[in-house]
Amino acid sequence: MAKNQLKKTFLAPLGKDNPVFVQILGICSTLAVTNKLQNTMVMTLGVMFTTALSSWTISLLRNHIPSRIRMMVETMVIATFVIVVDIVLKAFFPDMWKQLGPYVGLIITNCIVMGRVEAFALQNKPSLSLIDGLASGLGYTYVLMAIAFVRELLGTGSLWGYQILGSWWTNWAIMIMPPGGFFMLAIFIWIVKEVITKEAKHV
Amino acid sequence: MKAKETFFSKRIYPLLFMLIVTVVCILATSGLYLATQDRAMANELSFTRRAILDAAGISYQPTQSGIETAYLQNIEEQQGYFTALVANDTRYIILLEGPGLWGKISIMAGFEQDLKTFSGLAIVSQNETPGLGARIEEPWFTEQFKGKVPPFVLVEEGTADAADEIDAITGATRTSEYFRNLANSAATEASRIIGRQ
Repeated sequence: MAKNQLKKTFLAPLGKDNPVFVQILGICSTLAVTNKLQNTMVMTLGVMFTTALSSWTISLLRNHIPSRIRMMVETMVIATFVIVVDIVLKAFFPDMWKQLGPYVGLIITNCIVMGRVEAFALQNKPSLSLIDGLASGLGYTYVLMAIAFVRELLGTGSLWGYQILGSWWTNWAIMIMPPGGFFMLAIFIWIVKEVITKEAKHV
Repeated sequence: MKAKETFFSKRIYPLLFMLIVTVVCILATSGLYLATQDRAMANELSFTRRAILDAAGISYQPTQSGIETAYLQNIEEQQGYFTALVANDTRYIILLEGPGLWGKISIMAGFEQDLKTFSGLAIVSQNETPGLGARIEEPWFTEQFKGKVPPFVLVEEGTADAADEIDAITGATRTSEYFRNLANSAATEASRIIGRQ
């Protein structure tokens, strides 16, 4: 039973409860940072770290937090983990930190983090909340990586900074601009919804 | 099940709880900040030094220690500008700021001894459109100023030929224009800053 629940908690955010394409959360960063695979990877790792540890911390404190100030406590905890990510990036990956600019700090306002804390961590035990946060981060990661893959390839002809397509390729500048993110996300959601609704009809 | 609300549980406890959480969080982040402060400052310094070296047209190993070695060997810090001695000629490097399409563009502009010919140019900070205007950071764009004398004229990307021509960036005409203006003003600005001393 417990194992079953663990599996369910882990798998839901990857598929039918995916934070990005089902719950449509965290869209701001989805559009902003997905024009390069490297930036996207760092950003998503930051989100995964924050979601997992915030959920875990809040879950640890859940029986002690006075409910009327719970949002303040949640925000404080989330902000702390985000600042940790920001400081570590600044100290150890300065080039990456410069490129991501304000977006790391904006993880604080990523609805996925607050959403998981409110919806899950407050009612569940720490270990399960940690798994839920991690899985939500993972669900966010693979969607963003998929979008970034297409955007970087079409927008600059490269992947992970390495030139893949030859000089015959004309870069689609729109792909690395914000509209490219809108288009890719919309197409992604369209495809996924199509698949999911088809499956649902069969059942 | 629910405990009766007392004055303590209703007013004091939430305050205390928030206070403790806040103090713990602040201590944790401040501690981490202080622990990494030296590193962060070294990175910041390295960014500036790399820009100065690029502007002076001096090559270096692209590591933090490589940048430091090349910088200390070649660059002299003056009041308000930098100098570098390259093949018995002094090069002058100044920090210059000007408007871009979305925000301020800061560059390090390096000049040969005549204070007219660019020895190099490096972007310190910019907020132009990613993929379009932000391409001013790409090496092919900044390197084309090397050895040229302002004022410059912009031509279509990939067609610069004459000594005063600069490739504009396709899709970023406004940014290119702002950048050209900034580069054009650099020589006058350099004479002003260095002549004042």
